Amino acid sequence: MTPKIEFLGLTFDLTIMIATVVTCIIVFLIAVLATRSRSMVPKGLQNLVEMLIEFSKGITRMTYDAKTAERYVVLSFTLFMFIFVANQLGIIMMVTAEAHHPFPALGITEEALKETHGIAWFKSPTADLSAALGMAIAVALYTHIVGIRSGLKSYLKHYIPPMGLIHLLEEFSKPLTHGMRLWANIFAGEVLITIMITEGAPWITGAPLVVWMGFSLFVGAIQAYIFTVLANVYISQKMAH
Amino acid sequence: MSIHLGTMLFQVGAVLILMLLLKRYALGPMMKVMNERQEHIEQQLTIADEKRAEAEKMVSEQKEALIQAREEAKELLERAKVQKERESEEILQDARKRADRMIQDAKEEIALEKEKAIKELRNEVGNLSVSLASKLIEKEVKVKDQSKLVESYLNQVGELQ
Repeated sequence: MTPKIEFLGLTFDLTIMIATVVTCIIVFLIAVLATRSRSMVPKGLQNLVEMLIEFSKGITRMTYDAKTAERYVVLSFTLFMFIFVANQLGIIMMVTAEAHHPFPALGITEEALKETHGIAWFKSPTADLSAALGMAIAVALYTHIVGIRSGLKSYLKHYIPPMGLIHLLEEFSKPLTHGMRLWANIFAGEVLITIMITEGAPWITGAPLVVWMGFSLFVGAIQAYIFTVLANVYISQKMAH
Repeated sequence: MSIHLGTMLFQVGAVLILMLLLKRYALGPMMKVMNERQEHIEQQLTIADEKRAEAEKMVSEQKEALIQAREEAKELLERAKVQKERESEEILQDARKRADRMIQDAKEEIALEKEKAIKELRNEVGNLSVSLASKLIEKEVKVKDQSKLVESYLNQVGELQ
């Protein structure tokens, strides 16, 4: 259970917002600190960020031609780094507090407390369906903007029945799977970690926990890569037609 | 697990802001430097290629010059050898000529001396005969002694010659 606040009729998950902001700050700090000197001969942290930029370039070059690829390097870098750091943060640090009194302002009601007393104050933003799906939907919306800008006629032609119906269905399934894939992987990892920490004696769950955390770190990296690649693929698909 | 539109919007907004900040303060400048570096490296590579081609050209030129110099040296040596032979030949001939001439000169001188000596001898003989005659006339010498005297004179003459 996570604390939530209502604002302008919308529900905001406080834990996810905190985690998102922390993740953003970490990514930004890494990038800015590493690129502060910007020497012609890279050393130290600059090497790492240059490697990541080259990595992002590699992802974009898989899907676009050389000229367009340059434009999506920043997007790829941001997506990859944000999701990667978010995934790993959730594994490394999960802050959970016990709540025994209802606190309606944060969405901690009597009924919710009956189910659980654990309040998560910090977890992966990507382990939250809203956050993961939000990013996927944003990417999907952007792909439609790209599609319309590269030619309205050819964009609409794509949805002419009967094949168009399948394409239309695809437009909904794409962001859904895109976001759910990320969320499910990270969420499942965190759930299992939480279970192993809270249930069972440490001498039973200790070794599997370490193995599973290592695997989760690996899954976090892979999922960040997959999400970024898919985002680029979806954008380039709309460009081609 | 429920979906909250607020969280979604916040998430997307945060990532967008992160993207803009990264582009502005980290990735933009960094990528510029990376592109500059790539250009720099490409430029350096081209320059290196040019330099190498130049060096190769120079080496081939030097090689050619070396071959030429070697040929020239060979030619010079050849010419010097020929000249040396000719000169030694000349010197030898000269020396031979001079030796011939010297021999000739010596021979002539010898002949001259000989003639001179003969001439002197004749004069001497004449004078002697004159003095002999005068002695004969002055003194009355016995035939025996006379003949003895003449013989002794003749002997003397023979020795002189």
